[in-house]
Amino acid sequence: MAGDRPHIIVEDLRVAWGARVVLDRVSFQIERGITFAILGGSGCGKSTLLRYLIGLEQPQGGRIDIDGVGEPHRYEGIPPFGVLFQSGALFSSMTVEENLALPLTTWTSLRGPIVHDLVHAKLDLVGLGPFARHLPGEISGGMKKRAGIGRALMLEPDLLFFDEPSAGLDPITAVELDHLIVSLSRDLGITVVIVTHELPSIFLVAENCIVLDKEAKGIVATGPPARLREETTIPFVHNFFTRSSPSAPATGGR
Amino acid sequence: MDTAISTERHGAHASLAAVGFFDLAHAAAVLRAVEDAPSQLRGCEHVDVDLTQLVRIDGTGAVMLARLLDRLDHDGLQARLAEDRNPEAVRLIALYRSRRTDVPLRSAGAAGVLTRLGAAIATLPGTARGALDFTGRCAAAVPKTIASPPSVNWGSLPMLIQSIGADAWLVTSAANLLVGLIIGFIGVSQLGRFGATSYVPELVVVTHFRELGALITAIIVAGRSGAGLASEIATMKVSEEIDALRSIGFDPVRWLVVPRCLALVIVLPILTWIGDVFALGGALIATTTMTDMPIRMYLTATAGAITGTNFLAGLIKSPFLALAIGIVACGQGLATQGGAAAVGDRTTTAVVLSIFSVIAINAVFTLLFVVIGV
Repeated sequence: MAGDRPHIIVEDLRVAWGARVVLDRVSFQIERGITFAILGGSGCGKSTLLRYLIGLEQPQGGRIDIDGVGEPHRYEGIPPFGVLFQSGALFSSMTVEENLALPLTTWTSLRGPIVHDLVHAKLDLVGLGPFARHLPGEISGGMKKRAGIGRALMLEPDLLFFDEPSAGLDPITAVELDHLIVSLSRDLGITVVIVTHELPSIFLVAENCIVLDKEAKGIVATGPPARLREETTIPFVHNFFTRSSPSAPATGGR
Repeated sequence: MDTAISTERHGAHASLAAVGFFDLAHAAAVLRAVEDAPSQLRGCEHVDVDLTQLVRIDGTGAVMLARLLDRLDHDGLQARLAEDRNPEAVRLIALYRSRRTDVPLRSAGAAGVLTRLGAAIATLPGTARGALDFTGRCAAAVPKTIASPPSVNWGSLPMLIQSIGADAWLVTSAANLLVGLIIGFIGVSQLGRFGATSYVPELVVVTHFRELGALITAIIVAGRSGAGLASEIATMKVSEEIDALRSIGFDPVRWLVVPRCLALVIVLPILTWIGDVFALGGALIATTTMTDMPIRMYLTATAGAITGTNFLAGLIKSPFLALAIGIVACGQGLATQGGAAAVGDRTTTAVVLSIFSVIAINAVFTLLFVVIGV
């Protein structure tokens, strides 16, 4: 049954930029309906892995399968997932409303008032109802990300990718966005894959995760974030989750 | 199974069942069903809504069913969703109904031609004021530069001269060669009717050296380098690099505009002079090919026509044309607001305005020379 099959299967993925290998023999699976985090330090290949998962690049080796419909870079037609890029990636010459309407008018025959209704339903879902006619340059960074989520939801995907959703946001806006992600996953039953290194988000949002390491060029740990934090014996993973560095000086209160 | 809404009426009571696929893939069918449903329930007071025959529902289907339920409520029908039958669908519909804010549909009427023309004309005073303001700031930057030389990015000057001048001479020379060729052909064909082809070298020198050389070169530079300057500064503006410069205490006009204008002022007369030489070559090819005029004779006649006045009349315009290109291109770049589309718009405007400006300035100089008898 489709419901029993993992939503995403990655097998022996190899990613290289010329002679420089970024990721090698990366294998993992993401179950349907959960929130899954791809974690790691800067430069470990998290965002690169995301680009391959959403089909923007063709892997140099291995296989990626999303929902049993084949390799993402070969997809034609309606993408089976939505993506929120780090800065929202809204089209600057279109209003928020027009940004959300674009996937609908491109891939369906719907026009007129029903498009307005569907767009505004998604805007209401992400809390941007009053800002439909604003240009991206007229809204804040957090609002751009919410609008980006709305646009990613327009084609009713059951899989969403988020690239560093909390990046550049103040703590309050970041936690509001995290709660939105959790509610979308819970209320809409969507599988959510997040690339992040923000610890508060990880523990709030992710039910399962993989940790990438630049030196290892692959996965060094897999499991629920809280369990990894408590039980890991791998120094890098421990340092990552406890926000400690072997080279950082000890700090004490004055 | 077809996507449909089936209704059954029992007096004032009705039951409504959503059947089939209520999702994005079947959106058109869902929309038809939802729009037809209210008419089948006219006169009813209560409606029981059954979602157990749904094969699939997603956000799109949930929104449309939510709108239907809102419409039934608005029409005075008491619509009741059986929550224990297909609770997932009920929950999804309730999610969209609970978050709804009503934003009216904007009318799709486009502004008429007169309205748009009026709106465009209304922006002219502001645009003109902005252009004069920026030109004034550039003029004010000159004494400030002299007073504080480190406030200018002199390090960028060699690279600018390279990209505006050395990298452009081939295309400006080719353009002038072709223009010389054209003048030569036209001169031979027209003056030849009167047996006056011996005046073709002088015609080329007068038309090209005094007028076309500076103009053609400036137009090429405006299109090539003006676009590059405008888009570079526009991109810096939208990515907040200009704001960063100002936050460090730099004046963007002195830091960015002054070296670019200076590079243009240095380079354009040189390109014009090189272009003049190539134009002479083009006209030489045309004339000696179409007539039996020896090359030596052509060159002697050309040398005789190149007076100091003819030579300088064209070159003296070049610095002014260069300043026009620099001020317009940089001004458009600094005025950019928005994103990628704005960068494109400003670049296009910069090229069009630059070309128009150089033609206008050239016309002013021509008139001036005529008046003073040069």
